[in-house]
Amino acid sequence: MFDTLTPKTDEPGQARRVYYRVVYAILAIAIVGLLAGLVTGREVLGTIIYCGGAWIGSGITFLAPKLTDVPLQDERDTELYNRASGLTLGVLFVLGLSVIPAIYVLEAAGRIEPPPEVTGAILLASGLFLLWGVAYGIVKRR
Amino acid sequence: MENDLPRRREAAGLSQGELAEAVGVTRQTINAIERDRYDPSLDLAFKLAAHFECHIEDIFQPDDDEET
Repeated sequence: MFDTLTPKTDEPGQARRVYYRVVYAILAIAIVGLLAGLVTGREVLGTIIYCGGAWIGSGITFLAPKLTDVPLQDERDTELYNRASGLTLGVLFVLGLSVIPAIYVLEAAGRIEPPPEVTGAILLASGLFLLWGVAYGIVKRR
Repeated sequence: MENDLPRRREAAGLSQGELAEAVGVTRQTINAIERDRYDPSLDLAFKLAAHFECHIEDIFQPDDDEET
């Protein structure tokens, strides 16, 4: 796809720039579409635009590296993503480990009554860590 | 890890982009290696050594504090 978007005489860097611009533009349109839908009262249309953009952007991100010989992403990109993901999970883990058990204990003792938003956030974080554990197990065995 | 990739690349008359294309990575990765901001994988190190027709240790050397 990006081979055909890019003139043959251009450097691979040009194809990479086109790739990132296309993906970021699609995601930007999706987010703007969602916000515009919220502002104008057309939430369903905004949601459709957002979901369409998210799916198309994700699809291009997944498929484009397989459809071209140009290195759109390489090993350093992968390492940067891995390090950023590890840092994010590390921060979430430290925050979660220091807060979630305390909230459980205080709630069980009747000292606090967490609002639904906090309960939802705890469930989300717990689900994220569970998903990470499953993904780690799968990756370890491959 | 220290390396003399810039010297070898310039001696070969290659730009960072041309070397990147030859070994299948992005120019940014070559730039990061040359500035000691990224240590390449073994696979990429082998490709670079093959490209310059030398051994990996001719290009990459461990830092002094890593040799112990």
